[in-house]
Amino acid sequence: MTKHLLLSGAFGLGLMASALPAAAQSCEIPVGSVLSITGSMAAIGKAIGDAGQLAVDQFNEAGGVAGCNVKYILRDDQGSPNVGVDAAKTLVEIEKAPVILGAIQSGVTMPILTSVSVPGKVVQISCCSSAPTFTQLARDGGTGGYWFRTLPTDRPQGVVMANIAKTKGYKKIAVIHVNSDYGVSLARSFKAAFEKVGGTVSSVTPYNQEQASYRAEVNAAMQGDPDSLFLIAFPADGATALREWISFGGSQNLLLSNSLRADEFVKSVGAQYLTKAEGIDNAQTEGPSVDAFNKAWAAKFGSAPNGPGLHTMYDAAAVALLAMEKAGKPDGTAIRDNIRAITTGDGEVIFPGPDGFKKAKELIKAGKPIRYEGATGPISFDQFGDVTGPYLIWGVGNDGKLTVVDKWDKTRVADAIAEIDK
Amino acid sequence: MLQALADGILTGSIIALGAIGLTLTMGILRFANFAHAELITWGAYMALGALAITGTFAGPTPPFSFGLPLVFATLIAVVLTAALALLIDHLVFRPLRSHTSHMTVVFASFGVSLLVRMVILLIFGGSAAYYSNELQIAIRVMPGLRVMPDHVFTLGLTLAIVVALHLFLQKTRLGLSMRALAENPDLVRINGIDTRVVVRWTWVIGAALAAVSGVLYGLTVQLRPEIGFQLLLPLFAAAILGGVGNVFGAVIGGLIVGLAESLSVLFVPAGYKMAVPFFILLAVLYVRPNGIFGALRGGAK
Repeated sequence: MTKHLLLSGAFGLGLMASALPAAAQSCEIPVGSVLSITGSMAAIGKAIGDAGQLAVDQFNEAGGVAGCNVKYILRDDQGSPNVGVDAAKTLVEIEKAPVILGAIQSGVTMPILTSVSVPGKVVQISCCSSAPTFTQLARDGGTGGYWFRTLPTDRPQGVVMANIAKTKGYKKIAVIHVNSDYGVSLARSFKAAFEKVGGTVSSVTPYNQEQASYRAEVNAAMQGDPDSLFLIAFPADGATALREWISFGGSQNLLLSNSLRADEFVKSVGAQYLTKAEGIDNAQTEGPSVDAFNKAWAAKFGSAPNGPGLHTMYDAAAVALLAMEKAGKPDGTAIRDNIRAITTGDGEVIFPGPDGFKKAKELIKAGKPIRYEGATGPISFDQFGDVTGPYLIWGVGNDGKLTVVDKWDKTRVADAIAEIDK
Repeated sequence: MLQALADGILTGSIIALGAIGLTLTMGILRFANFAHAELITWGAYMALGALAITGTFAGPTPPFSFGLPLVFATLIAVVLTAALALLIDHLVFRPLRSHTSHMTVVFASFGVSLLVRMVILLIFGGSAAYYSNELQIAIRVMPGLRVMPDHVFTLGLTLAIVVALHLFLQKTRLGLSMRALAENPDLVRINGIDTRVVVRWTWVIGAALAAVSGVLYGLTVQLRPEIGFQLLLPLFAAAILGGVGNVFGAVIGGLIVGLAESLSVLFVPAGYKMAVPFFILLAVLYVRPNGIFGALRGGAK
């Protein structure tokens, strides 16, 4: 069934592609996309593919890119690295695509990046892969700058928390974190950032989930008399560990991770012990550029764009195409060098949609700067190709209710990261 | 170091209480009862339920975080847990014990344990609960050692129960019959002792200890429907380490497991602490296949 749909979809795509050139330019620029249309991520892959298609259609409506029509070629990776690499190879070597969008899973994205995109000098933008290994690879120079992603990693969280710890005057902080990919990488990025702003991390203690008691871990974390604690945990285990920490006379200067923002956690620990605590969480992106995408999506598909990866995939495609327009040619290296030019600076703001892209084309033609604000709001890639998201800082009121203490928009987060990277 | 020692002894004493009940039933009833861990959860939650009634009469008694209400609630929990144990024995284990092989009873105990856990989940819900929402702040006894009054109480109670149980097994007629049943069931029957009564009392004592252990656990950590399941492996490790059927062995086994977990954190990353007691278990069983205090044949000592 799925296969059948896929075939007919591909057929329809081919028809569209062959019908369009007659209406506009005679040349075609391929934009490749590798996503999981089948396999374990199939449930979300189809809609993510549609989000990329929407951006491409809007560009063609606005008159194409670099004087040509854009041809969106979507390939299925079936959730498997081998299939994904094969698909990407075909896109780059046979279709001559200068850009690959995808993949969804980090395990598929990584081999495509290292064995296809970087050697082929092709820009790769992922909507959905959040593994910290990409940042590390970029730091080691393994991506050649061809790697970007529109989904925030957990590194900004670590940086923001380090800033809060510094503002609060904490000098020596203990970290207790859940022993998972998420916990390990957040603890690591926090430690690096906090040491960069002049603080000391007295200990980093991992804990395994679902254990009877965390007294031993709490004890280990207390070594070296820390003046505060950063707890990266999930609500139930986090409550156990934190109660034991407070019982043992641990400091009530607490920093809490995003996963602890739950009423259950506050109730279990006791609100009276959390009055000095501050936590972080992802904030909902808002603004006219986000609305523009939401409206366009609803108009085309008749439903609200609720689902992972839709906003980020749209922006991945839009950023690639705008950079290509700015570069003036479908060349991977030229696109790479122009991506930051169209997302930062004081240029005129461009919103998603055919009208926005038309305006962008005119401004670029006139040699004027533009700044794209997309479906995920303002986008600014750091030197490793990562973006930041907006965050909110939460606290606990005397009545035990969760409150919002502060908000960090993307610019403030980006500034803090730039400060750390200096 | 001192603190880790104190924690180890505390965790160990709670495990020990549960392990005594387990080792008694294993030694006398001659099968590994996986549902025993669920009796601990049941006891803890029954006390929570009873506390809703008894808690209205009086507040906590300093320096402890609890007062007489919890003591009464624990007594009620002991009765209810013993009732559950007897009910399980009557409905599941007794019919199976006489007819089928050993393994059937063991697997039946698995099923029973799941059933009990789900019933608790159904009644009380899955989120963590506490006997008191007040947190007790530890008292600094000396540099590097903080102790909570509740912990001292737990330790003292464990000690008292172990001594009482020892006297019971050594001096009373019932205690002697229990040990005899463990040693040689046929001989006991020949001597005209009603084994059904002895079995019943074994369940009652095992369940009562489980309930107390559950309450102490809930008091010092928290209440969750999975606490019994999480304690299952440490309990078995302690019981086997000390030698099946041996009360003092179970206490020493519990302390070894507790201490190994808490001291190991000083030397290996905390993520691996669960494995340490089992390394010790392996090593001990290699040298003494029947456990530290285990005799060559089964029996309650």
